[in-house]
Amino acid sequence: MEKVIRFVRLHLGDGNEEVGRKEIEKSWIEATRVLLRYEPVDREFLDRVLKADDSTLALLYYRLHFHLIRRSGAWVHDGSR
Amino acid sequence: MTAAGSLPGPDPREAGTQLRPGLWHTINSRYPGSMITKPDFVPLVALRKPLSECRVTFVSSCGVHLKNDAPMEVAHPFGDFTFRRVPSTAKHGDLIIHQLKYPHDDADLDINVIFPIERLQELAAEAVIGALTPEFFSFIGYNMDPERFEAIVARDIAAAVVEEQRADVALLAPA
Repeated sequence: MEKVIRFVRLHLGDGNEEVGRKEIEKSWIEATRVLLRYEPVDREFLDRVLKADDSTLALLYYRLHFHLIRRSGAWVHDGSR
Repeated sequence: MTAAGSLPGPDPREAGTQLRPGLWHTINSRYPGSMITKPDFVPLVALRKPLSECRVTFVSSCGVHLKNDAPMEVAHPFGDFTFRRVPSTAKHGDLIIHQLKYPHDDADLDINVIFPIERLQELAAEAVIGALTPEFFSFIGYNMDPERFEAIVARDIAAAVVEEQRADVALLAPA
Protein backbone atom coordinates (compact mmCIF):
# COMPACT_ATOMS: atom_id res chain seq x y z
CA MET A 1 0.00 0.00 0.00
CA GLU A 2 2.87 2.38 0.77
CA LYS A 3 4.17 1.86 -2.77
CA VAL A 4 0.78 2.74 -4.24
CA ILE A 5 0.50 5.87 -2.10
CA ARG A 6 3.98 6.98 -3.15
CA PHE A 7 3.24 6.15 -6.78
CA VAL A 8 0.09 8.29 -6.81
CA ARG A 9 1.79 11.17 -5.00
CA LEU A 10 4.60 11.10 -7.57
CA HIS A 11 2.06 11.10 -10.40
CA LEU A 12 0.09 14.03 -8.99
CA GLY A 13 3.26 15.91 -8.05
CA ASP A 14 4.98 15.44 -11.43
CA GLY A 15 7.72 13.34 -9.85
CA ASN A 16 7.85 15.23 -6.52
CA GLU A 17 6.24 13.27 -3.68
CA GLU A 18 5.81 16.27 -1.37
CA VAL A 19 4.22 18.35 -4.13
CA GLY A 20 1.90 15.43 -4.88
CA ARG A 21 0.81 15.19 -1.24
CA LYS A 22 -0.09 18.88 -1.24
CA GLU A 23 -1.84 18.59 -4.60
CA ILE A 24 -4.15 15.88 -3.21
CA GLU A 25 -5.16 18.16 -0.36
CA LYS A 26 -5.50 21.11 -2.71
CA SER A 27 -8.16 19.34 -4.81
CA TRP A 28 -10.46 18.37 -1.95
CA ILE A 29 -10.00 21.80 -0.36
CA GLU A 30 -11.13 23.37 -3.65
CA ALA A 31 -14.15 21.00 -3.85
CA THR A 32 -15.11 21.88 -0.29
CA ARG A 33 -14.68 25.58 -0.96
CA VAL A 34 -17.11 25.34 -3.90
CA LEU A 35 -19.67 23.38 -1.88
CA LEU A 36 -19.60 26.01 0.83
CA ARG A 37 -21.53 28.26 -1.56
CA TYR A 38 -24.57 25.97 -1.18
CA GLU A 39 -25.49 26.47 -4.83
CA PRO A 40 -28.04 24.20 -6.59
CA VAL A 41 -26.63 20.80 -7.57
CA ASP A 42 -27.65 18.65 -10.57
CA ARG A 43 -28.24 15.44 -8.63
CA GLU A 44 -29.84 13.68 -11.62
CA PHE A 45 -26.64 14.22 -13.58
CA LEU A 46 -24.62 12.78 -10.72
CA ASP A 47 -26.89 9.74 -10.55
CA ARG A 48 -26.49 9.18 -14.29
CA VAL A 49 -22.70 9.54 -14.13
CA LEU A 50 -22.40 7.07 -11.29
CA LYS A 51 -24.02 4.39 -13.44
CA ALA A 52 -20.92 4.35 -15.67
CA ASP A 53 -18.49 1.43 -15.47
CA ASP A 54 -15.86 1.27 -12.74
CA SER A 55 -12.91 2.11 -15.00
CA THR A 56 -14.61 5.23 -16.36
CA LEU A 57 -15.48 6.38 -12.86
CA ALA A 58 -11.98 5.70 -11.59
CA LEU A 59 -10.51 7.83 -14.37
CA LEU A 60 -13.17 10.45 -13.68
CA TYR A 61 -11.78 10.65 -10.15
CA TYR A 62 -8.35 11.63 -11.51
CA ARG A 63 -9.87 13.95 -14.13
CA LEU A 64 -11.81 15.71 -11.37
CA HIS A 65 -8.67 16.02 -9.30
CA PHE A 66 -6.84 17.88 -12.07
CA HIS A 67 -9.99 19.89 -12.88
CA LEU A 68 -10.24 21.10 -9.29
CA ILE A 69 -6.52 21.87 -9.12
CA ARG A 70 -6.78 23.91 -12.32
CA ARG A 71 -9.80 25.88 -11.12
CA SER A 72 -8.08 26.54 -7.79
CA GLY A 73 -5.72 28.81 -9.70
CA ALA A 74 -2.66 27.08 -8.25
CA TRP A 75 -1.77 25.09 -11.35
CA VAL A 76 1.84 23.88 -11.49
CA HIS A 77 1.66 21.20 -14.18
CA ASP A 78 2.38 23.12 -17.37
CA GLY A 79 5.98 23.97 -16.75
CA SER A 80 5.28 26.89 -14.46
CA ARG A 81 7.76 25.57 -11.94
CA MET B 1 1.46 -2.17 -10.56
CA THR B 2 4.16 -4.72 -11.26
CA ALA B 3 6.21 -2.45 -13.48
CA ALA B 4 5.51 0.65 -11.42
CA GLY B 5 6.58 -1.06 -8.22
CA SER B 6 9.73 -2.76 -9.46
CA LEU B 7 13.11 -1.66 -8.21
CA PRO B 8 15.50 0.29 -10.41
CA GLY B 9 18.13 -1.77 -12.17
CA PRO B 10 21.67 -0.78 -13.04
CA ASP B 11 22.25 2.62 -14.58
CA PRO B 12 22.80 2.09 -18.33
CA ARG B 13 25.22 5.00 -18.13
CA GLU B 14 27.58 2.66 -16.32
CA ALA B 15 27.52 0.40 -19.34
CA GLY B 16 28.08 3.29 -21.70
CA THR B 17 24.62 3.03 -23.24
CA GLN B 18 23.24 6.38 -22.14
CA LEU B 19 24.55 9.84 -22.92
CA ARG B 20 23.29 11.80 -19.88
CA PRO B 21 24.83 10.50 -16.63
CA GLY B 22 22.38 9.73 -13.84
CA LEU B 23 19.28 10.39 -15.92
CA TRP B 24 18.13 6.77 -15.74
CA HIS B 25 18.23 6.74 -11.93
CA THR B 26 16.76 10.25 -11.67
CA ILE B 27 13.71 9.27 -13.69
CA ASN B 28 13.37 5.98 -11.84
CA SER B 29 13.39 7.78 -8.48
CA ARG B 30 10.70 10.20 -9.66
CA TYR B 31 8.67 7.59 -11.50
CA PRO B 32 9.56 4.17 -10.03
CA GLY B 33 9.39 1.34 -12.52
CA SER B 34 9.12 3.56 -15.57
CA MET B 35 12.64 2.72 -16.73
CA ILE B 36 13.60 -0.83 -17.60
CA THR B 37 16.71 -2.53 -18.84
CA LYS B 38 16.26 -4.66 -21.93
CA PRO B 39 18.28 -7.88 -21.88
CA ASP B 40 18.47 -8.02 -25.65
CA PHE B 41 20.54 -5.56 -27.65
CA VAL B 42 18.95 -3.89 -30.66
CA PRO B 43 21.72 -2.71 -32.99
CA LEU B 44 21.37 0.46 -35.01
CA VAL B 45 21.14 -0.24 -38.73
CA ALA B 46 23.52 1.48 -41.11
CA LEU B 47 21.98 3.63 -43.83
CA ARG B 48 21.81 1.79 -47.13
CA LYS B 49 21.58 4.93 -49.25
CA PRO B 50 22.43 8.63 -48.94
CA LEU B 51 20.29 10.69 -46.55
CA SER B 52 19.28 12.83 -49.53
CA GLU B 53 17.47 9.78 -50.91
CA CYS B 54 15.86 8.66 -47.65
CA ARG B 55 12.28 9.03 -46.42
CA VAL B 56 12.48 10.32 -42.88
CA THR B 57 9.89 9.97 -40.15
CA PHE B 58 9.78 11.49 -36.70
CA VAL B 59 8.66 9.82 -33.47
CA SER B 60 8.42 11.74 -30.21
CA SER B 61 7.26 11.26 -26.63
CA CYS B 62 6.39 14.95 -26.34
CA GLY B 63 2.60 14.60 -26.55
CA VAL B 64 2.24 16.96 -29.53
CA HIS B 65 -0.80 16.51 -31.75
CA LEU B 66 -3.16 18.37 -34.06
CA LYS B 67 -5.36 20.83 -32.21
CA ASN B 68 -8.48 19.08 -33.51
CA ASP B 69 -7.32 15.63 -32.42
CA ALA B 70 -8.50 13.98 -29.21
CA PRO B 71 -6.32 15.21 -26.32
CA MET B 72 -3.89 12.79 -24.71
CA GLU B 73 -5.13 11.26 -21.44
CA VAL B 74 -2.87 13.01 -18.97
CA ALA B 75 -4.85 12.34 -15.78
CA HIS B 76 -4.58 8.55 -15.87
CA PRO B 77 -2.09 7.39 -13.22
CA PHE B 78 -0.54 4.80 -15.54
CA GLY B 79 -0.43 6.91 -18.68
CA ASP B 80 -2.04 6.93 -22.10
CA PHE B 81 -1.18 3.91 -24.22
CA THR B 82 -2.24 5.51 -27.47
CA PHE B 83 -0.41 7.64 -29.99
CA ARG B 84 -1.32 10.40 -32.41
CA ARG B 85 -0.46 10.76 -36.07
CA VAL B 86 0.73 14.21 -37.06
CA PRO B 87 0.72 15.14 -40.77
CA SER B 88 4.29 16.01 -41.69
CA THR B 89 2.96 19.10 -43.49
CA ALA B 90 1.57 20.57 -40.24
CA LYS B 91 2.78 23.93 -38.95
CA HIS B 92 3.33 25.33 -35.48
CA GLY B 93 -0.16 26.84 -35.45
CA ASP B 94 -1.82 23.49 -36.18
CA LEU B 95 -0.31 21.76 -33.17
CA ILE B 96 -0.72 21.65 -29.41
CA ILE B 97 1.21 20.00 -26.58
CA HIS B 98 -0.90 17.87 -24.30
CA GLN B 99 1.41 16.72 -21.55
CA LEU B 100 1.78 17.57 -17.87
CA LYS B 101 5.11 16.22 -16.79
CA TYR B 102 7.61 18.65 -18.29
CA PRO B 103 7.90 22.41 -18.75
CA HIS B 104 6.90 23.45 -22.24
CA ASP B 105 6.68 27.23 -22.03
CA ASP B 106 9.29 27.64 -24.75
CA ALA B 107 7.80 24.93 -26.92
CA ASP B 108 4.42 26.66 -26.70
CA LEU B 109 6.07 29.65 -28.39
CA ASP B 110 7.84 27.49 -30.98
CA ILE B 111 6.77 23.88 -31.28
CA ASN B 112 10.00 23.12 -33.15
CA VAL B 113 11.86 23.29 -29.85
CA ILE B 114 10.48 19.88 -29.03
CA PHE B 115 8.84 18.69 -32.26
CA PRO B 116 11.06 20.06 -35.05
CA ILE B 117 8.52 19.51 -37.81
CA GLU B 118 9.16 22.77 -39.67
CA ARG B 119 12.92 22.24 -39.53
CA LEU B 120 12.44 18.80 -41.10
CA GLN B 121 10.19 20.34 -43.75
CA GLU B 122 12.99 22.78 -44.56
CA LEU B 123 15.57 20.00 -44.78
CA ALA B 124 13.30 18.12 -47.18
CA ALA B 125 12.73 21.28 -49.28
CA GLU B 126 16.49 21.81 -49.43
CA ALA B 127 16.95 18.14 -50.48
CA VAL B 128 19.20 17.47 -47.50
CA ILE B 129 16.83 14.60 -46.82
CA GLY B 130 14.95 12.81 -49.59
CA ALA B 131 11.42 13.23 -48.28
CA LEU B 132 9.26 13.13 -45.19
CA THR B 133 6.80 10.37 -44.50
CA PRO B 134 3.19 11.60 -44.75
CA GLU B 135 2.77 11.27 -41.00
CA PHE B 136 4.86 11.65 -37.88
CA PHE B 137 4.08 10.04 -34.51
CA SER B 138 3.62 11.36 -31.00
CA PHE B 139 2.65 9.98 -27.59
CA ILE B 140 3.06 11.07 -23.99
CA GLY B 141 6.23 10.00 -22.22
CA TYR B 142 4.40 9.34 -18.97
CA ASN B 143 3.64 5.64 -19.42
CA MET B 144 4.22 3.71 -16.22
CA ASP B 145 3.94 0.20 -17.62
CA PRO B 146 6.87 -0.27 -20.00
CA GLU B 147 5.82 -3.78 -21.03
CA ARG B 148 2.33 -2.61 -21.94
CA PHE B 149 3.80 0.38 -23.74
CA GLU B 150 6.10 -1.84 -25.78
CA ALA B 151 3.35 -4.32 -26.61
CA ILE B 152 0.87 -1.69 -27.77
CA VAL B 153 2.28 1.73 -28.59
CA ALA B 154 5.81 0.84 -29.71
CA ARG B 155 4.62 -2.15 -31.73
CA ASP B 156 1.93 -0.16 -33.56
CA ILE B 157 4.17 2.82 -34.26
CA ALA B 158 6.93 0.53 -35.52
CA ALA B 159 4.47 -1.22 -37.83
CA ALA B 160 3.18 2.12 -39.14
CA VAL B 161 6.69 3.46 -39.68
CA VAL B 162 7.86 0.41 -41.59
CA GLU B 163 4.77 -0.91 -43.37
CA GLU B 164 2.60 2.17 -43.95
CA GLN B 165 5.00 5.08 -44.14
CA ARG B 166 7.88 3.15 -45.71
CA ALA B 167 10.42 5.18 -43.78
CA ASP B 168 14.13 4.66 -44.39
CA VAL B 169 15.06 6.65 -41.29
CA ALA B 170 13.17 7.12 -38.02
CA LEU B 171 14.28 10.03 -35.88
CA LEU B 172 13.37 9.33 -32.23
CA ALA B 173 13.19 12.23 -29.78
CA PRO B 174 12.28 12.07 -26.09
CA ALA B 175 10.57 14.98 -24.35
